[in-house]
Amino acid sequence: MIALRNVYFDYPGGITALSDVSYTIMEGATVVVGPNGSGKTTLLKVAGLLYKPSRGSISVDGVEFWTQPSDVRVRIRRNIVYVHDNPVMVTGSVAENIAYGLILRGVGRSEALEEAYRFLADLKLEWLASRSSKNLSSGEAQLVSLIRALILKPKCLLLDEPTSNLDPDRRRIFVKLIEDYDGVLVVATNDYSLASRIADRIVVMKGGRIVSTDGVELLADM
Amino acid sequence: MEVIDISIRTIAISSIASLLASTWSIPLSYALSGSKGRYAIVVREFFNATIGIPTVLIGLMVYLAFSRSGPLGYLNILYTPQAVILGQSILVTPLLVVLFTDIFREYRSRYWELALTLGATERQAALMIVREAGFDMITAYLLSFARAVGELGVALLVGGNIKGYTRVLSTAIALEIERGRFEDAFTLGLILLLIVVLTNIVVRVLWRRIR
Repeated sequence: MIALRNVYFDYPGGITALSDVSYTIMEGATVVVGPNGSGKTTLLKVAGLLYKPSRGSISVDGVEFWTQPSDVRVRIRRNIVYVHDNPVMVTGSVAENIAYGLILRGVGRSEALEEAYRFLADLKLEWLASRSSKNLSSGEAQLVSLIRALILKPKCLLLDEPTSNLDPDRRRIFVKLIEDYDGVLVVATNDYSLASRIADRIVVMKGGRIVSTDGVELLADM
Repeated sequence: MEVIDISIRTIAISSIASLLASTWSIPLSYALSGSKGRYAIVVREFFNATIGIPTVLIGLMVYLAFSRSGPLGYLNILYTPQAVILGQSILVTPLLVVLFTDIFREYRSRYWELALTLGATERQAALMIVREAGFDMITAYLLSFARAVGELGVALLVGGNIKGYTRVLSTAIALEIERGRFEDAFTLGLILLLIVVLTNIVVRVLWRRIR
């Protein structure tokens, strides 16, 4: 459970992206909606423990995150994975990219690669395994970045505009993966069909503030 | 035969000098790339301002440091290849720091968050950034080599242009001009030009491969 208490976040130059945000991310799927620039991405990065709030606090399962020593922070962060809307790939094959997080966690390279191949094979995407990560389309990269996150079996998965670059086929695989995921899910999107399909609750953001947490009924009015 | 000897020595001295400068420029640049503090800005501006520092000035400073009465005179390395290597490494440090800082800043912005969210420690994240920046770093290294290989001030002042020992292409050219042997000077100049041009071609090919 990730709890944000009176969180503010200012970018360098003084642009305030989050203002007095208090919210507890619960089990199930939370969908964050709001216009561009409303603070959805910043909220996900703060909740994903990548951005340190300018003010306020974040706790994970009751443990205040940013006051912990760095080794404890790494341990806590390993339960939460943020997937960028514009995925970044490391140099190497798709399988190497998918295995990367496992290797960082101490899994042996060959074992991690085997796991990556197995994961891709289960999705009938083995043809992607040896492709160079530099030659992926944006939709393929988005799919690979989701698989790279899921293979780590995180307790919490944060997805930023996950379907923005997907064609219908990849979108189907992507949505299936999200639906099968059984951890805490937070999705920032303006894709209302995706939102209505997966959301247990909806958070509406505007001007860096959460203006509503009124539940999925809101979707009907959007 | 002597020309080959001088050319090999020139390449060896300048490549070792750039490598030596990289050993302190890489960690310094990495630290600068992640800091927006006032001191980091001052340090970066200092290196920016000293990129084009006259080679003869560096040569003079190194000469004074290593001369018999200088603070490092006890090392007794004046007029040795080691002194030229050290002088050239100081010469190319500002260039390397500025280039590496820009490179690390760019790669940090792309890979830092990815590394952390995949569960990297800060050390693992730093290694990931350096690994991804590898090609760009080689390009920066080659540019610094090109700067070192063509300089005269340091090689002449602290190397002394000793035949078979510290004579490099730039000092050999200066000597041939002094002797009035312009043809030999021109030949050596062409070899130097060839080294610089080849280095630049390698840089451009690498650059194209990255971009």
